[in-house]
Amino acid sequence: MSISKNNLILYIGILTFGIAAPFLFPAFKVQLSILCVLIVLATTWNIQGGEMGYNSFGNILFYGLGMYLCASVQVGMFFPLAEWTESGGEKTFVHTPTQFFQGMAFGLLVAAFVPAIVAGLIGYSILGLRGHYFAICTLGLGVAAGEISGGIEIIGAGQGFTTPPFPDVGSLDSRGEFFYFLSFFVLVLTFITVRGIYSTRFKLILNAIRDNEDKAEAMGIETMKYKIVGWMISAFFCGLAGGIMGGLVGYIDSTDVAFDGREMGVFMVLMAILGGKGTLWGPIIGATVFHIFKEGFWTFFLGWQYVALGVLIVVIVIYFPEGIMGWLREKYPERFGEVVDEKDRKAQVELK
Amino acid sequence: MRLNKIILSFISALAILFSTSVVSFAKVVGDKIVLGAAISLTGKYSSNGVHTQNGYNMAVDRINSMGGVKVGGKTYKFDIIYYDDESNPKRAAQLAERLISQDGVEFMLGPYSSGLTKAIAPVTEKYGVPMVEANGASRSLFTKGYKYLFAVLAPANLYLDVAIDLAVEKNNGKGVTVAMAFEQDAFSQDVRLGVLDAIKRTGSKKVIDDKLPKELNDMAATLVKVKQMKPDVLVVSGHTKGALTAIRQISEMKVDVPMLAMTHCDAAKLSKQHGKNSQYALCASQWHKTLTYKDDFFKDGMTYDADFTKEFGYAPPYQAAESSAALLVFKDAFERANSFDQKKVRDALAATNMQTFYGNIKFAEGGQNVDKPMVLFQVMCDDAGKCENKVVAPTKWASAKLIHPIPSWSKR
Repeated sequence: MSISKNNLILYIGILTFGIAAPFLFPAFKVQLSILCVLIVLATTWNIQGGEMGYNSFGNILFYGLGMYLCASVQVGMFFPLAEWTESGGEKTFVHTPTQFFQGMAFGLLVAAFVPAIVAGLIGYSILGLRGHYFAICTLGLGVAAGEISGGIEIIGAGQGFTTPPFPDVGSLDSRGEFFYFLSFFVLVLTFITVRGIYSTRFKLILNAIRDNEDKAEAMGIETMKYKIVGWMISAFFCGLAGGIMGGLVGYIDSTDVAFDGREMGVFMVLMAILGGKGTLWGPIIGATVFHIFKEGFWTFFLGWQYVALGVLIVVIVIYFPEGIMGWLREKYPERFGEVVDEKDRKAQVELK
Repeated sequence: MRLNKIILSFISALAILFSTSVVSFAKVVGDKIVLGAAISLTGKYSSNGVHTQNGYNMAVDRINSMGGVKVGGKTYKFDIIYYDDESNPKRAAQLAERLISQDGVEFMLGPYSSGLTKAIAPVTEKYGVPMVEANGASRSLFTKGYKYLFAVLAPANLYLDVAIDLAVEKNNGKGVTVAMAFEQDAFSQDVRLGVLDAIKRTGSKKVIDDKLPKELNDMAATLVKVKQMKPDVLVVSGHTKGALTAIRQISEMKVDVPMLAMTHCDAAKLSKQHGKNSQYALCASQWHKTLTYKDDFFKDGMTYDADFTKEFGYAPPYQAAESSAALLVFKDAFERANSFDQKKVRDALAATNMQTFYGNIKFAEGGQNVDKPMVLFQVMCDDAGKCENKVVAPTKWASAKLIHPIPSWSKR
């Protein structure tokens, strides 16, 4: 993969902005961390939904799995997990700073690799489904996981799971800064990975699957292998995002926080579509715009925020069916490096 | 590539937007004490969220119109910034963060439900923001060593264990068989633990122990089991929807059980919505209008009931009453601390020992109110079909005698 001079300037600019952001807008650290998580979710969903043409509602499974795993490892490494999650337990456990960060580090590793392995295991059967059948099946995955985890006592069941509180290090701002830089790091990691695979043959194969899977197979491509690898990559980063989100929220509830298919599961699809699916930058722009609008609606349309959000979605679908990136591409094709033949364009208009 | 220009201008637009939207309130603006609250205005807890908000608003208006809060020789008025947490813990934690770090709120009121309070408490604790909450009863809130959390209500495990005691008493001291159906959420599961303790203590036996999904709309499977097992007591808890679903399906399926104990009957306006079908249901309540507690602002329960009904058009459930009480506690603490220093206010809160129309308030080490017992009321209807909630236990407050066992459906 080669980076042009212009791109290099852009990336350095964004990186600088990302590192400076929590200091420029200290009050928005939590929102910025959530924005990073949202971008990771939208970008990884785009691998399936955008590039491969498989509309997955099941990525929330990996996100929730990562969240529970990270917190469980973080607690379980030092204290008995069952006593931690037991309600009404009289004992109070406190992590020392070293324990907290060690636990978080190991927790995140587990939160990344286990979901990836799970994706590999279930992928073989589920990715054999196509179209609506795949969408419905993955929708069930998230719902089932939520109900099952709500019945497992050791992770708190219906009581929920309070994740370890952030230890007393430095100032009040250190928690926000820690989680922001962690999520920003994961965002950068995701971007590099996704950009990397989008510049290889792998992306072309995914596109081939999207455009005509049977033909791709007939050309000798082992589509199943690529579909599974793609899903594993998404699962890896969704798990990481979930682990961070668990620590950030501080309280895990089975259906409302972890396997939150109704919100996060739908939002990741929405953000990718808003920005323009099947593009590298689309999900990123989509997630950012979505997050800003959402926070704005919450402040200014109290009680009506979902109505406002609904109107926004309708407007997007009607006026920007291809997403923001798609709209920009149509409006300014030359900026995307496409050459427009004026004569040809006029001829087409006249034909219409 | 020109695309870069688009993205760069997008980012700079974003930066400008962020920097202009930093609006900060101070904790005390002019003569206003600004409190922050995340309330469930939408989502599964929306009806109770509104009860909570009405309770807060009622108390704010009353305290402000009766002279406000006097601190350092100056009079201040309460003001509340509300956000909608959508009954979602993730959202609630974010909003708490936002109230504190963006809106500069230094004192918080609690949300509705234990789960949401659990999500907010770590945030308020981190920033040292005193929070008086009126709707988070889960016991595990009070064993986490939180210093800035104060709850005006009795913990959840005390809700229905009295009912088991009552059933055992009616059974001549012998153990009873108990069927339990609880929603999978922090509050209901804690009520369940309390009932389990009571079962153990009284030598009773649990015959059904079902977990019900959130957004409880159907519990027919449990009721079929109840019909076959014929337990002495059926215990159901699942917030407002749980209470409504239970009564609807019990009456539809004509399930006969000698004692039916529930939570959230008054918040669900059971006697109004289901009339005679809800008759004989036994309900745990933090407060009832006939209790004889008094204070200067709302006088007593009956007056509160009348004033609230006049203002909002429905009788106040205990969720509203306890929310109003939270404001009284804050006012009292501010005046005793005579300062807006968070630590001083926190210490004043910890030393609270007062009576309100809602009950006595005194906080234990963990922040729970230990000076106020729970009451049980039973829905009783006259022949015309007009139903009323009457307190039957504990004996000190009882205004009617418990009807036990519940007559079978064929005889109603």
